[in-house]
Amino acid sequence: MTRTIALGALLLSTLLIAAAYVGALVAAVVPPWTPWALMIGTSTIMLATMVLGASRAGRGIGRLAVPFVAMFLVLLVGFGAALVMPIETVGSPLWLGLPPRASVILYGIGVLPLFVLPIAYAVTFESLTLNETDLERVRQMKAKRSPS
Amino acid sequence: MIQTTTLPPLAQPIISAVAVGYFAVVAAIGIWATRKTRTASDFFVAGQGIGLWALAIASMAATLSGFAFIGGPGLVYSVGIGAVFIILPVSLTNAMGAWVLAKRMRLLAEVRDMITVPDAIGARYRSPLAQGLAAVAILIAVVGYMATNMLALGLVIDAIFGVGLTWGIWIGTLITLAYSVSGGILAGVYTDVFQGSLMALASVLVFVYVLEVGSGLSGISRTILGADPGFMGPWGKLTPLAALSFFFVFGLGSLGQPHVVHKFYMLKDPRRLKWYPLIMTVALFVTLLLYVGVGLAVKSLVVSGTMPPLGRPDDATPTFLLRFTPLLLAALVFSGVAAAIMSTVNSFMSIGAAALTHDLPVALGRRVGNELRWGRISTVVISVVAALVAQASGTLVAFLGIFGWGLFASTLVPALAIGLNWQGATRAGAVASIATGIVVTLVFETLAYLRVYAFPAGVTVSGLSLVASMLVFLVVSMLTQESEGAAIDADIRLVMEV
Repeated sequence: MTRTIALGALLLSTLLIAAAYVGALVAAVVPPWTPWALMIGTSTIMLATMVLGASRAGRGIGRLAVPFVAMFLVLLVGFGAALVMPIETVGSPLWLGLPPRASVILYGIGVLPLFVLPIAYAVTFESLTLNETDLERVRQMKAKRSPS
Repeated sequence: MIQTTTLPPLAQPIISAVAVGYFAVVAAIGIWATRKTRTASDFFVAGQGIGLWALAIASMAATLSGFAFIGGPGLVYSVGIGAVFIILPVSLTNAMGAWVLAKRMRLLAEVRDMITVPDAIGARYRSPLAQGLAAVAILIAVVGYMATNMLALGLVIDAIFGVGLTWGIWIGTLITLAYSVSGGILAGVYTDVFQGSLMALASVLVFVYVLEVGSGLSGISRTILGADPGFMGPWGKLTPLAALSFFFVFGLGSLGQPHVVHKFYMLKDPRRLKWYPLIMTVALFVTLLLYVGVGLAVKSLVVSGTMPPLGRPDDATPTFLLRFTPLLLAALVFSGVAAAIMSTVNSFMSIGAAALTHDLPVALGRRVGNELRWGRISTVVISVVAALVAQASGTLVAFLGIFGWGLFASTLVPALAIGLNWQGATRAGAVASIATGIVVTLVFETLAYLRVYAFPAGVTVSGLSLVASMLVFLVVSMLTQESEGAAIDADIRLVMEV
């Protein structure tokens, strides 16, 4: 079920990205909706690909749903904020040394997931990715294929 | 010789001495690896015997070419924050790659003793045609990528030793060839570990000087905002569509880079993958500090009048180093640039030789007798071709280099990354998507190169070809599922289910 949903999301997000490109290609002036379509499509395709990779036959993604949803929201909110927040001027405040919109992009999307996804991968590795039992099954299969 | 600015006294001898020392270490590693390389498995997949740190640091070094140290900071100097969208996905892509590919690739090596990325595609779809097409795409992209990097290496060697561009290209090619031909990927991996460590160290040290020279990040931002607020906007001088397009292509496209994916085969113990994304992500993050920092600092220095505007954006890093950092650090970074280029070239030599020696014969139903010997010969042939292309024409080389990433992404992401995680993917879908990736990339890149057609800002051929091949893969697989039935071998199915 998880993989079916991920595949559906993969197809829809690919179509959304294609629509953004086609919209920009056919119009004389790039329509304002195209960055939104590309932003939503890209965030979704990354999420769908990760879910597809992390899900195992008949077991879904378990606790990984939390970091995956968090990452998806970070991308949507980060890119969305950069698109709608006011343009900075000389007197604009700085957030951690950068103008607000650049700060949202660099720290929010460029740094924050660094502390979430790799750690989620490590923490759930034995339970949701690979453990001794899985390896043994693979090695038995190899032995079965080449008994010599 | 280095001519971006007036050189301080003793600069040239110090830079040359550090470079000679660096090349000596690389040579020593090459000699050590040559003694350990006895089989084709040693040559192409390091005998499946490398550790976690070696995997992560070598993958980082192979990922970053000279662009990260020279072209990238130059791009930030030119277009502002928007240039960061090329490297922004790094916070996500390594974990994504681990979930989607690392475990499955490593387990494929466990059940089938695979040595190339097209091997995995051939086994997944039981299709020599798909394997052969993937090998053709890899070969085309490898020659283009290598030519671009060899040209850059020639420029660096010329800058350090003043030997001229032609000699620079051939000296760089010969040095890289020397350890790649004799020590294969084993030499490549361990020189990458040395080179990657050098790159990370140099980047961190330079970033410290960036903050000092610019009075911190706030000082840099304030200075630039006063003169050019758009530069510090989230998209810089790019359109939002163009910046987001970078994020899409370099984010999802990272799953189709064979010089990185191929290294998963080499890990000795698959359970060590647990910490791979964290080490790789931190290593990349640290090494890319220079990319962002130098570009912003130089812009700030130019805006404040401390430095004159650059003649070429690519002068940002050399100029900053020679004016604002100690000579020894500048020398270290110049060697780091050579290191970044050579580590990438070496990886391409290996996967190109494997495509020529292993995948194409398999696709044609043949086997090469002595893969180790022919692997070495192929490495020389591919390298000489790439070096000749590098000499041929600057614009041609730039053209070839542009589509390398896109060709890898559009041909390998659907068939490999998605196909290894979706049992409904079919042979017809894989073949159609790889063919689509090759045709769309080559046709549209050529049209753009010949100026027959100009794409609107934000629409890239890489993005278009990736989307087209994804759609073709999904739709054709869905339409052909019933006719192909369960065409997956039991061991491959197990790897996909675990």
